[in-house]
Amino acid sequence: MGSPEGREPVLEARGLVKRFGQVLALRGVDFDLRHAEVHALCGENGAGKSTLIKTLSGLYPYGSYEGEILMSGQVQRFAAIADSEKSGLSVIHQELALVPEMTVAENVFLGHEPLRFGAVDHDRMLGETDKLLSRWGIDVSANATIADLGVGQRQLVEIAKALRKESKVLILDEPSAALTDKEVATLLAIVRELRSRGVSSVYISHRLEEVFALSDRITVLRDGQTVVTLDTAKTDRAAIIAHMVGREIDNLFPRRRSEPGKSLLTVKGLSVAERRGEKARLSDVSFDLRQGEVLGIGGLMGAGRSELLMHLFGVWGDRMTGSVELEKAPLAQAPSACIEQGVVLVTEDRKRYGLVLNQTVGFNLSLSAIDEFSPHGFVDRDRELKRNAEYVDSMRIKCSGQETVAGTLSGGNQQKIVLGKALMTKPKVVLLDEPTRGIDVGAKYEIYELINDLTAQGVAVLLVSSELPELIGMSDRILMLAEGRIGGSFEGNQISQEALLAAAMRPSQRAPHPEET
Amino acid sequence: MTATQAKVGLRDFSMLIALVLISCVFWLMDPTFLSARNLSQLAIELSATAVLSLGMLLIIVPGHIDLSVGSGLGLVGGLAAVLITGHGVSAPLALLVSAVVSVVIYAAMGAMIVKEKIPSFIITLGGLLVFKGVHWLVIGNSTIPVVTGGSQNLYSILTTYYLPPALGYVLAAAIVVLLGLAAWNNLKKRKARKLEADTEAAFLRWFLSAQLLVLFVVVLNQYRGMPLSLLVLGATAFVIHVISQHFRFGRYLYAIGGNEEAALVSGVPTGKVVVLAFAVMGVIVAISGFLQTAFAGASTTTTGALMELDAIAACVIGGTSLKGGRGTVVGVLFGALIMCVLLNGMTLLALSPEMKFIARGVVLALAVWMDVRLSRSSARA
Repeated sequence: MGSPEGREPVLEARGLVKRFGQVLALRGVDFDLRHAEVHALCGENGAGKSTLIKTLSGLYPYGSYEGEILMSGQVQRFAAIADSEKSGLSVIHQELALVPEMTVAENVFLGHEPLRFGAVDHDRMLGETDKLLSRWGIDVSANATIADLGVGQRQLVEIAKALRKESKVLILDEPSAALTDKEVATLLAIVRELRSRGVSSVYISHRLEEVFALSDRITVLRDGQTVVTLDTAKTDRAAIIAHMVGREIDNLFPRRRSEPGKSLLTVKGLSVAERRGEKARLSDVSFDLRQGEVLGIGGLMGAGRSELLMHLFGVWGDRMTGSVELEKAPLAQAPSACIEQGVVLVTEDRKRYGLVLNQTVGFNLSLSAIDEFSPHGFVDRDRELKRNAEYVDSMRIKCSGQETVAGTLSGGNQQKIVLGKALMTKPKVVLLDEPTRGIDVGAKYEIYELINDLTAQGVAVLLVSSELPELIGMSDRILMLAEGRIGGSFEGNQISQEALLAAAMRPSQRAPHPEET
Repeated sequence: MTATQAKVGLRDFSMLIALVLISCVFWLMDPTFLSARNLSQLAIELSATAVLSLGMLLIIVPGHIDLSVGSGLGLVGGLAAVLITGHGVSAPLALLVSAVVSVVIYAAMGAMIVKEKIPSFIITLGGLLVFKGVHWLVIGNSTIPVVTGGSQNLYSILTTYYLPPALGYVLAAAIVVLLGLAAWNNLKKRKARKLEADTEAAFLRWFLSAQLLVLFVVVLNQYRGMPLSLLVLGATAFVIHVISQHFRFGRYLYAIGGNEEAALVSGVPTGKVVVLAFAVMGVIVAISGFLQTAFAGASTTTTGALMELDAIAACVIGGTSLKGGRGTVVGVLFGALIMCVLLNGMTLLALSPEMKFIARGVVLALAVWMDVRLSRSSARA
């Protein structure tokens, strides 16, 4: 890690203030990125990171904010993203901007296709993309269709797209959220290599390990303000977390065990294919979920964790064999009926399956429980508004009111709406799929506390997580899936990272049945 | 939230302004445009189109489309006429039977769209052609009057009966009072829940609508009184408004249009809701079919032709998003009014049919362009 001290700043923000109506999203942010520096940006959801990036990149045009943006000492007045790109600034967004039907090469060159006699020169495009990918060690074929790639590979393609433009400044917004460890290593190598070539990067991530492995300096934002900028070498994780949340968090996983009660959800010999006639994606899965317990479901990408939850809820797959029972009665295979029986799913993909983004916070909160307010079809608006207001308060959803449009909130707050919507149905069993993905330490902590509250009330939780520490910290028992089978079942002091990983990578043979407890 | 409300308000008023402008142009070119007789005529013309547009709203909000309604309403209106004049069935029974047939047909189309996952565009395009053919078969390619020889029945009075002036005033007064009470009650509740409550805007909206309504009734009473068909439209608009804004079913329509997958996972019975929307469309097609056929006095091969496009245009002009998830009854009413005023005015000025088509097309494109501009600028603010 070189010392960027004394180098001239390539990108600067001075006293940035950005308002949305009466809400102050940025209230005076100062930030500077020096030449050949990796500068990490940390902060809770809603701290203003995304707003800062959108302002810096010209998505919020000059005139819509107060304060100054400078590049290499010159005040910039970006009217659109195209302007900032021209000045050498590229943003790799959290939400991928790739066309799924097109190939990697076509996406990398989208809008800049090389022409030959007026027609697109496919050979040149493929050749140059190949060169680009192998130059940066990205293990993806230039001719592959985006739709066939995993999320991690897509993210790397997105980065390749920015590399082609040879930008001076790269802003990476949560680039590693969906990457496997190997892909993260590739990503970190790319950013380091760019630094050695004089490219500066702003790196935004909730994963502090990456931040510390990569960055030269760290700036922490909180409530739309710069809290502190520190040299990475002179600080540590605990200090950064304390700055982010504004308080010390001594216990990351505050699981309070409660005595498990009677059996609620019983799954026996479940085998499921994606479509009728295809091969099984889940094979012979059996487990028992009891009142007041958290059963963790782990496994590698593609092991079938989300598929299991989605199938239980009736939105995925075709059941070949097996049974699912809730309190001895068969569980229906449709979301509306499942909710009626007391089972609810909190989805991993909140934009796709979680929220109606163009509607208000209140509309989304009460969507699943609306039956309760409309016994004869007519919605009792008064009762609904009251209940929504209670949930906005108790879930601590940061918004100017329940009539705020859901799509305008930060990721963590959106996640809280999805959770609130599920809880308003007063469920007996909650299926939680990656409930803390892409959200910050403070919001994570609140969601863990919520899990504790639920189990204390006798609700059973099925928790899918790809973060082993979270799985270990928050589960009472853990099932590891390996290629759609149960690779092992763990409880109490049997639980260790090594044992879980070993079970997750167990080759697909007859897996041992989970112990009866 | 302030922004959303201001935007809705601006949109409502911008349509009002457009409407006033268009009317002024017609009035300057031909003062009889604002005569009691012509406005009465306009009200009857408006009824069938506006009722149909309101049904279309319930189809477009969940992200579907119905291209079949023009020939569908021709068929249903024709069926009722044939039952009465051809088979001597009493008018009320003929209307009831035709309406039931309409509901069954539309619910079946909805079921095909949901169960077989065929896009509504295709199913209803097929419906457009099939219904047209069946309509022509039913009426035997001839002109079937809605009533035999100069007499009257329930079918024919739909567009020929006018309420006595006194009743018109009583009705208008009652509506004004009810609107005021509803607005006041709503404000009170919103304030109690500490939600944004703009008393001034609410009062202005109520005051404007009250004035327009009373003025309209005064003018209509100078001719023959309030047409029955307008009453049918009013009742339909009220029902559709309540369904879309106050019923669970309406909530579900907006959820499906906004994000169908999220709606499904949230427990919305998406299939049932869409089939029900099409069944309601069946009722609407029947009502507007009766109105349109009665207005012409008979079912002919051209009854209802191209009305599906007027209905879609009215929705879109009224701010309904074709992608689904957005649209209001008030907006659609304004949209339908703009389309009908345009047609009525141009007919009054004796413009050629060619010019009428071109003018309506241009207005549609202009209106949508303006709407896109407005929503873009308000999204940025």
